[in-house]
Amino acid sequence: MTTAAAPVAGSDASAEKPKRGKSSVDNDGWKVAIWFLLPSLIGFLVFYLIPTIRAIRLSFQKVSILNPAAATSVGWENYTDIMEDADFWNSAWVTLQYVVINIGIQTVLALGLAVLMSRLTESLIVRATILLPWILPNILVGLLFLFIFDPTVGIVAQVFKFFGFDPIAFLASTTWVIPALALINVWKFTGYTALLFFAGLQTIPKMLYEAGSIDGATEWQMFRSITIPLLRPILALVMVVSLIGSFQVFDVVAAAGGGVQGSPGDPLGKSRVLYLYIYENAFLFQNKFGYAAALATILMIFLTVITLLQLRLLRADQSDLA
Amino acid sequence: MSKNALWRLLALLCALAMVASACGGGSDDAAEDSADTETEAAEEEEAMEDEEADAEASEDEEAMEEEAAAGDGATISYWLWDGNQQPFYEQCAADFTAESGINVEITQFGWADYWDGLTAGFATGDVPDVFTDHLARYPEFIDAGVLVPLNDFIDADGVATDIYFPGLADLWVAPDGSRYGLPKDFDTIALVVNEALLEDAGLTLDDVSNLDWNPTDGGSLEAVAAQLSVDANGVRGNEDGFDASDVVQYGFMSQTNYADAFGQTGFSMLTGANGWDFLDTNPWGSVYNYGDAEFTDTIGWMASMVEKGFSPDSETLAGTGSDTIFDAGQAAIMPDGSWKIGTWSTSENVDAAFVPTPVGPSGNRASMFNGLADSITTASENPEAAWEWVKYMASPACQETIGAGGVVFPAIESGAKLAEEAFLANGVDVSAFTVHVDEGTTFTFPIAGQAGEVSNIMGDAIDTVIRGEGDASTISAANDEVNELLAG
Amino acid sequence: MSTAAGVGNVGSATGRRIAWAVLAVVMLFSILPVFWALRTSLSTNSGIILEPSNPLPVEATFFNYERVLGDPPIEEVQAAGGTGGEFSVLLAVRNSMIVATGITIGQVFFCAMAAYAFARLRFKGRELVFTLFLSALVVPPIFTMIPNFLFMRDLQLSLGFTSLDLSWLPGSDKAGWINTFPGLMAPFFLMTPFAIFFLRQFFLGISREVEEAAIIDGAGHMRRFFRIILPMSVPALVTLAIITYVNSWNEFLWPFVAGRDESVRVVTVALNDFKAQTPGTTRPDWTGLMTATFVAAVPILLLFGVLGRRVVDAIQFSGIK
Repeated sequence: MTTAAAPVAGSDASAEKPKRGKSSVDNDGWKVAIWFLLPSLIGFLVFYLIPTIRAIRLSFQKVSILNPAAATSVGWENYTDIMEDADFWNSAWVTLQYVVINIGIQTVLALGLAVLMSRLTESLIVRATILLPWILPNILVGLLFLFIFDPTVGIVAQVFKFFGFDPIAFLASTTWVIPALALINVWKFTGYTALLFFAGLQTIPKMLYEAGSIDGATEWQMFRSITIPLLRPILALVMVVSLIGSFQVFDVVAAAGGGVQGSPGDPLGKSRVLYLYIYENAFLFQNKFGYAAALATILMIFLTVITLLQLRLLRADQSDLA
Repeated sequence: MSKNALWRLLALLCALAMVASACGGGSDDAAEDSADTETEAAEEEEAMEDEEADAEASEDEEAMEEEAAAGDGATISYWLWDGNQQPFYEQCAADFTAESGINVEITQFGWADYWDGLTAGFATGDVPDVFTDHLARYPEFIDAGVLVPLNDFIDADGVATDIYFPGLADLWVAPDGSRYGLPKDFDTIALVVNEALLEDAGLTLDDVSNLDWNPTDGGSLEAVAAQLSVDANGVRGNEDGFDASDVVQYGFMSQTNYADAFGQTGFSMLTGANGWDFLDTNPWGSVYNYGDAEFTDTIGWMASMVEKGFSPDSETLAGTGSDTIFDAGQAAIMPDGSWKIGTWSTSENVDAAFVPTPVGPSGNRASMFNGLADSITTASENPEAAWEWVKYMASPACQETIGAGGVVFPAIESGAKLAEEAFLANGVDVSAFTVHVDEGTTFTFPIAGQAGEVSNIMGDAIDTVIRGEGDASTISAANDEVNELLAG
Repeated sequence: MSTAAGVGNVGSATGRRIAWAVLAVVMLFSILPVFWALRTSLSTNSGIILEPSNPLPVEATFFNYERVLGDPPIEEVQAAGGTGGEFSVLLAVRNSMIVATGITIGQVFFCAMAAYAFARLRFKGRELVFTLFLSALVVPPIFTMIPNFLFMRDLQLSLGFTSLDLSWLPGSDKAGWINTFPGLMAPFFLMTPFAIFFLRQFFLGISREVEEAAIIDGAGHMRRFFRIILPMSVPALVTLAIITYVNSWNEFLWPFVAGRDESVRVVTVALNDFKAQTPGTTRPDWTGLMTATFVAAVPILLLFGVLGRRVVDAIQFSGIK
């Protein structure tokens, strides 16, 4: 396992080869392939494709979650309503703020941490410790920080008091709720992301830096002209995954940001992220299930566009190291 | 080597799973023996009874064995959300089973998850036969046609619907005359006061037992609230130099978060005493009255209390939670519901007493009168057995069992008396809650559709005003919005 | 690992000391919240209000563990600030283990098969099917949740195979696969786009020459898959297994709607249920909650402790791929 990292980044380039290669023996066709693909094909059809089609159909209907059988078709009404729905635009804006803060801080911190580690230590304990938050369930993390941020009994409030500041109810404040939620997520994923970057750094040939220092380049110059460009493929990959994940943030908000009935928070809808708004429409509001499906369709289209854009960036940069 | 690694990992995962399942099963030994005939819930029920009274438990077991022998004991599933009441309903269920031969499987969920689960359950038909229903939610259920009307059952069995406190049973009748629940309990609102904080302020319980209130100067309620508010320097709210920005003890605190359209333990006892009604007609109104001056003035007064530092602001209230603040002795007076009597009378941290809500400009005090009922779902495969259970829970026998538990007020007078006695036996005077029923100063929970969305829209509007970011026009705009929603 | 780029490359000793200090702070922050949960779980509800900043347990007690793990009398539980509605954490942990283990085994195996087809077999429309599979990455889970839910409910009825009759499982008396372990595993059991993508990338990197010998020996695809590809891919499979296990353990939305029955309820759902126990009360039972949180974290922390190196390697490995 210690030699696990044998295949090097950029193996995608070699990956294209076998497809075009001669190997005539592999002209097996579906007769053979179907046996290998059958389970996953069933999984794909049953749990992704058919439900997606069903959900898209629902987005053109007025339907109550309580009684999905009694649906009436409403054409494009759900979509036109969404365009005029102030709550939708609010939730889109809130989500965007969350994504920007989350991805921004997390990427910078993780990158710094990865560079720090690659310079200082390969200690397993260090790496395992910073990975710890990642293995904890979101719900658990949400509850943990709900307590930590509690303005009366939470430790953050005590620290504020110690330094003579008034405690802030972070998760109930219209100003702070999104940054606080984003920070919770940063806490959970920075170590994980740093390890991904760390792995990427390991693949950068050491001699590039040696050559750099011989040429008298400063640390910062080398970071900008060697580390960043060579790390870009992994940077892009991590960004795609983080972005898709961040736009769909739900668990932490449900556990710590409130909003889903009764829990503290969701101050004036300032933590009503898109997923939460979809959830509310689907489950809490009357006859809005089709509306929720339309919201989800829009989110899906948006995510597709983002992914395609990002993948294009990723592909363009792939040959940097090869 | 690497192949071994994979198998070792898989083996470890399997082993962990097996060990864990052994642990889980081992924690209650009875579980495995009877696993094929009974569910966990029923087992827990047994376990609980074992602890409560061995003699009774053995009787129940006998009864169960008899049914098992007969082999036709139907099983009804029942959901509730109040964990405090669960033990007493388990008792009811045991008695019911002994009497009817029908088993009841009780499941409890936290409030929020209860409704989430029920909603998802209706979507898929995976709901209990019987569940505890709430007035805010049942219009939506009727609209979707997922509840069984009880009229035929009631007629067939000749069940009296007039044995409950007046008004409770009628809340569960739809506009077309169908009845969807039989009342099980009721609740009213009183003020909880922290006696130690009263004493510190030189006040006695008598000083707060006959409060009055108006939205202009807040009446005696605001006066005592000022006296009971303390800033970080120990200055009281009615003294010079009180720093409203650094308050350590609040005189008056809404129990509900401000962002709440129904304000049951927030604004409702004030708006009610101000002569305001939620709807044009209740039940089944079609127009909300949130835009009325009686309402917006009350919210305006509450916002002024926040500004003056006599009440916690939105962030403090939502962030910490009123109960935590009250329990920490950082608030002196708080309206709360009768279902919380047990919480406050047994609190280790505060010495709590209950006093009636203030008399308002209408000349009366007011309390929201809310009652829960049990409804049967159309997904039930055995509505007859479900009805028997609903009927039993609505009967004096079960309501007296519940009442004797001293947790809530049952909907039948004999049960409510027992509850009152049970509270008194524990040294708790609950007359502040019952006074509303005795004097007829209750008004009923508003019943109209779209409660979920109404709650979101109005809640945000009210909270905006409390945060000082809006005024009466914010609320009337939101009122137009919810009425548009109701109109469809 | 091969020699890392630039290790030991830091200039001054002061620089190194500052860097280590920063690293130590980061490590401390990673652990602190978990420690705080532990400290709170050993305190009383009144204690944490009295001394909110005391780093040690206040009015130290094991009663929270008793009430979360066992079944003490209701009066004592209520006096401690709980309700009668505590759940069995151990049962939830067991359920999570069953679900996560099942998903991991199924997903890794079936996705390896699919990945083999995409990496090694030639058939018409291969790229199209692969792209289609990948596109499932952007489908929001909330989108497919309800249709999946409906399907799970109808499974028993519509297929009608006796072999699919799961009524012998706990809680499955009427709603098809809802509230059953297979129902909880199903949507992740056969494929996830990430797993297939990840393994395909790895298989593509395996040299063809290794297989040539087997082909000359006349080995079929099945044999090549089981005897050559799988054994050579153990690092990738282990990596995927770990990621899948952690993700399954952390999954919330699907079990939240499809597995609410206590007999199959997993830890994430149980914890969330625990949060808002009493109606109308805004005072969370913090010590009970933190105890449950900590207990729920223990198994995965143990797993992490045992497999620490492997998990860390796995994450880095997934990064390089």
